[in-house]
Amino acid sequence: MSLIDVRNLTLQFDTDEGRITAVDNVSFSLAPGEVMGLVGESGSGKSVTAKALMKLNARNGHYSDDSQITLHLDSGPVDVMSLKRPRDMAVIRGGAISMIFQEPMASFAPAMTVGSQMVEQLLIHSNMNKRQAKELSIEMLDRVGISDASTRFNQYAFEMSGGMRQRAMIAMALSTKPKLLIADEPTTALDVTIQAQVIDLMKDLVDEFKMGIIFITHDLGVVAQTADKVAVMYLGRMIEQGPVREVIRNPRHPYTQGLIDALPKLDDLGAPLRAIPGDIPSPLERPSGCVFHTRCSQIIGDICKTHLPAWADTGADHRTACHLCHQGASA
Amino acid sequence: MLQFARFAATRAAMALITLTIVSLVVFTLMELVPGDCAERYLSYKNTQGSAITLADIDAERARLGLDRPFLTRWVSWLTGAFQGDFGSSCILRVDIAQLLGAKFWISLAICLGALTLAYAIAIPVGIISAASRNAAMNNVLRLVSYLGLAMPNFLLALMIMLVSTVYFGETLTGLFSPEYKDAPWSWAKLGDLLKHAWLPIFILGWSATAFALQTVRALMSDEIGKLYVTAAAARGIHGTRLLWRYPARHALGPIVNSLGFDLNRIFNELPIVALILTLTEAGSLLLEALARSNDQQLAGAIIFLLTASIVTLNFFTDILLAVIDPRVRKSILR
Repeated sequence: MSLIDVRNLTLQFDTDEGRITAVDNVSFSLAPGEVMGLVGESGSGKSVTAKALMKLNARNGHYSDDSQITLHLDSGPVDVMSLKRPRDMAVIRGGAISMIFQEPMASFAPAMTVGSQMVEQLLIHSNMNKRQAKELSIEMLDRVGISDASTRFNQYAFEMSGGMRQRAMIAMALSTKPKLLIADEPTTALDVTIQAQVIDLMKDLVDEFKMGIIFITHDLGVVAQTADKVAVMYLGRMIEQGPVREVIRNPRHPYTQGLIDALPKLDDLGAPLRAIPGDIPSPLERPSGCVFHTRCSQIIGDICKTHLPAWADTGADHRTACHLCHQGASA
Repeated sequence: MLQFARFAATRAAMALITLTIVSLVVFTLMELVPGDCAERYLSYKNTQGSAITLADIDAERARLGLDRPFLTRWVSWLTGAFQGDFGSSCILRVDIAQLLGAKFWISLAICLGALTLAYAIAIPVGIISAASRNAAMNNVLRLVSYLGLAMPNFLLALMIMLVSTVYFGETLTGLFSPEYKDAPWSWAKLGDLLKHAWLPIFILGWSATAFALQTVRALMSDEIGKLYVTAAAARGIHGTRLLWRYPARHALGPIVNSLGFDLNRIFNELPIVALILTLTEAGSLLLEALARSNDQQLAGAIIFLLTASIVTLNFFTDILLAVIDPRVRKSILR
């Protein structure tokens, strides 16, 4: 049974310029212990999608009526959309779902010790007393490889290095034993060696805690190393998803192909990098038809400009939303 | 704890150094005014009909010690100032400490009262309004706040006086009832002062509140949008706990930092309110000394006292800031 089921998730924001669609009809599911990479450029809606799983988006956001997020916990299924009050949402926020953010420095309150923030969270989500919460927090800091954890417990985020902060953030996120961990570009702000350490750490902990992970990144290299499956987003829509090796070796959507071509190849340094032409359009000027048609190099005619492509099966568990794939199937 | 005491001692020493440097500036400015106390006094006597010779002026200079070098005079002025002795007024020829009497302290108390009132209102209201989604409440607050910023103090003072005189038959002027005006200090006199002081405190606090409210609201809105607040919400922290422990606490730092500046601003607004309410206070005395009688000794004394108050307040806000913000604390304590 899956851990989380997302169906038709649509999220719009009211802004001064008008209503913009940040997430458009996104569906996916994740099994316990599975790692899903959520990939896309900045502005593709991946962070918004992840935050929506905890209903953590800004006040001006509106979910469509048919948006469904179901979390299957030991105690039974939780309909996330029906949670209205922050008090009720505490069950999922920090309890069933934990989130790690891109900027470890900015995710800790600057004037509170790391330890006090860890303890505070444990007191909300468990029956521990303060002493037990402190012991567990120090143990968790130790587990993520922070030396002298009991001293670090009393320190502030600004007293730690970038890698250590992100480790502390991971320790804090895992201390409540969540079922689902959302990691929003957790390694982007770190340098490459620390990045590798943090990724290894996360993999170890996932195996140990048997939780599902949604790993948000624009870095396909990181996804190839960590994820079981991958979903590619563009302008709030999911355009391709499937097992990670399958998608990376055999990308079917022109956008996914573009993302892979844009990566530098270590075995052929002479090969030119091919960027995807153009920029992501403003959310206020959402293209009709396939949202990618304004930048697509393989456009096949008016159908791309007028009709949203439906999902096509393009391999084992591999689905692509592109007219090209339908054309191949019908021919 | 010992480290903290050392930090406080360092800050106190720095405050004293600041004050000494300021006193040099003040003293130099006093000296830059053309003419000195001897000339000014004798020219004043001249207008009264006495015949004055150059020898008289020199004799007066020697008597006042004005023939000593600049630095010597500054040092003796400064040592006197730290002991509360500011010498005699150039024109009025009376001891400045006596002339000022309690006026400076009353002025300071009124300003501090207005400052306290302003933040006692602005901090909770500003924080709640920044966090609230209630558009109607925010618009009302904004209106009140702009009224406070836009309406001059003297106009508000005049309006209150008009209303109280016409409708209640009571004149709300002065700081003391007639029977206490020249009476020695007593509890009854203090009580009488408090009964009168609420009005200037309210009037000065009115615009100060409007100003502080905008500051608190802006800082708080800024802080609420920060990632650590979202991260805390993602950990399940919610409601008032999320508001006060996270953004509110962090928004307080810059507010504490600007208290000294606010005190100065309120003191500058005091004279015009004092004029209308016919208060006897030091701000108008300062303007009088600077603009009309050119009494450099008196002006210097008031400026020195005001600076000393601001430096002292800044000393306390520095300590307070170190208490509430570990980044400040840790940067000094090592």
